[in-house]
Amino acid sequence: MKKIFFIVALLGCALVYLQQQSYAEKTPHKEYSGMAIKDCNSCHKSEGVAPNHDSDWVRGHWVVAAKANAKCKECHQQSWCLDCHKGGGTGDDLAKENFGRDYKPKSHRSDFISLHPLKAKDNPQQCYRCHDQKAFCNSCHSRFPAGSLHIKSHLMLGPNNQRYSFAIGEHSIEARRNLQSCAACHPEGDVCIQCHSSGKVRPHPRNWKSGNLKDRSSGKVCLKCHLPGTF
Amino acid sequence: MALRRMFCLLTGSILLFASSAAWSAEIHGRSSTQFLWFNNVFTEKKQAEFGEYLNLSVTNIDKDNKLSFQGYGRFTQDVRNGEGLNGRLYYLYGDYSNLFDKVDIRLGRQFVNYAAGSALIDGGKVDLKNVGPVGFSVMGGRNVIFDLDGEATRSHDFAFGAAAYLAGVKSVDAELSYFMKFDKDGLARDQLGASAKWYLLNSVKVYGNTRFDLPSETFSEVLAGIKYFPTSDLILTGEWYQSYPTFDSTSIFAVFAVNRYQEGVFRVDYTINDKIAVNAGYSREDFETDSADVFEVGCRIRPIEQVLLNLNYDRRKGYGGSLNGGIAELTYEPIKPLELAAGIHFDVFERDRVTGEETARKYWLGAKYKLAKNMTASVRIEDDVNARFKSDWQGRAVFNYDF
Repeated sequence: MKKIFFIVALLGCALVYLQQQSYAEKTPHKEYSGMAIKDCNSCHKSEGVAPNHDSDWVRGHWVVAAKANAKCKECHQQSWCLDCHKGGGTGDDLAKENFGRDYKPKSHRSDFISLHPLKAKDNPQQCYRCHDQKAFCNSCHSRFPAGSLHIKSHLMLGPNNQRYSFAIGEHSIEARRNLQSCAACHPEGDVCIQCHSSGKVRPHPRNWKSGNLKDRSSGKVCLKCHLPGTF
Repeated sequence: MALRRMFCLLTGSILLFASSAAWSAEIHGRSSTQFLWFNNVFTEKKQAEFGEYLNLSVTNIDKDNKLSFQGYGRFTQDVRNGEGLNGRLYYLYGDYSNLFDKVDIRLGRQFVNYAAGSALIDGGKVDLKNVGPVGFSVMGGRNVIFDLDGEATRSHDFAFGAAAYLAGVKSVDAELSYFMKFDKDGLARDQLGASAKWYLLNSVKVYGNTRFDLPSETFSEVLAGIKYFPTSDLILTGEWYQSYPTFDSTSIFAVFAVNRYQEGVFRVDYTINDKIAVNAGYSREDFETDSADVFEVGCRIRPIEQVLLNLNYDRRKGYGGSLNGGIAELTYEPIKPLELAAGIHFDVFERDRVTGEETARKYWLGAKYKLAKNMTASVRIEDDVNARFKSDWQGRAVFNYDF
């Protein structure tokens, strides 16, 4: 916690220092909203500002947009963002696909239902920028009967897939790499705590801050494995 | 219940806006009436629906044009499988800007995005600006969550946040923010966020973005990048990103140890001339105990004014599976009001040893005709051929009216 206060104090001092610096008005962009991107970029370059809306824009725009005073709103309505982030779409762009009632961003290519386990591994945080872990992933995954999904760490080791020995060793490696995929089918973690609550296998990371978690959920999460008063 | 509330909200807004029109308010927007047919992945039945998407903007309500209203939502009615009426209100808010030339106030359903976190909220956001080189923003309200079919918001879902950002230094942007989220079990998320970018030497941009998760006291995301742009047509990008996936404090998954994920990206984007632009990229993904390589190349060709061809090829190899495929899309405008378009997606991929190698293809065709200055009609159809379907046709027919 001391570390956090130090970082915040340092940033606070930096802000106070900048407050004393000369004040330069940022250029409003509303009047340029109808311009071609290439014209924007030539002006940006002459001002020493990086051109944007290039072919890397879809991947990299979150960094620019994740800012309290982002300029996106000067040219775009919120629907521009939400058509991809939350669904919607008025069918203006022929290249944009639908997933049922909502637009599907181009990152969700070809047969995305089959392909998404692969793409979800590229960056474990990426899916959650648009989808709620519990509400979205689980509302689909929960409809599959248990055992019907072919997941490497869930394979049987016996001949002819006999149901007597799970690939126990491999599941921990898979879970550490992509715990989100576990949560997609087991949102309450009931399967995990069958073994992990026994005390034989400690699931917590090094430098585990149990107090922080206990304070925030009134110990509800801790009580799933530990007896009251023992944590 | 949620649908009824949405009906009331939209009806109320329309009545309010209609009455406000009497004193010269300007109402603009788009009505998009659609017929959609698609495969319902759960019932494995073809579904056909009529939909109405309404995007509304009301401005010039007051003399100084400080007050405005924005709204966007949709209703759909299934006509084949008995799924009934479905709706979603994406946003509906009133915006009052430049109060005392220093305060912007936004009330209603809206999307809020800070470096520390983002949320769709039913609530308010207040920005304090023009008080020096630092601006401030606070937001809070009911945290709106969508699932596959509708709203999944529960009674204790709330989100709050605050941000301070640099507004008056020409070549530097920076933000420090805080985001918290509640659910029925308590404080689910609280994290600090920071983002910064700095332009220097007229051709370099250095940028970074981070989130610090307070319960686990870890940096859940860190991004550091540099862009070098010797001309406005050539951009070289290098990025390093790492994440420790974190979960809601009220979730059992918050107690488990996870691996650090790291990614290094190098990209080149070059616009050769008005007719050709090319890009190439390489990403190295590191999962601590394994890794993957991702290559990407693409080009955009405009041989004549009326034709545009987009080509992209991706190759992924390593942990998590392999992907080898591309997208080709062509747009042609034979006459001014008519636009024709077509595309192919072709992917060969292997998720793991059980699934083996699969091939997925998508073929699509589309046409759009501008009936009048404020009216367009379009049709888009696609056929998906993959391991699950020999042929799966779906599409949309759209009539858009701008007012």
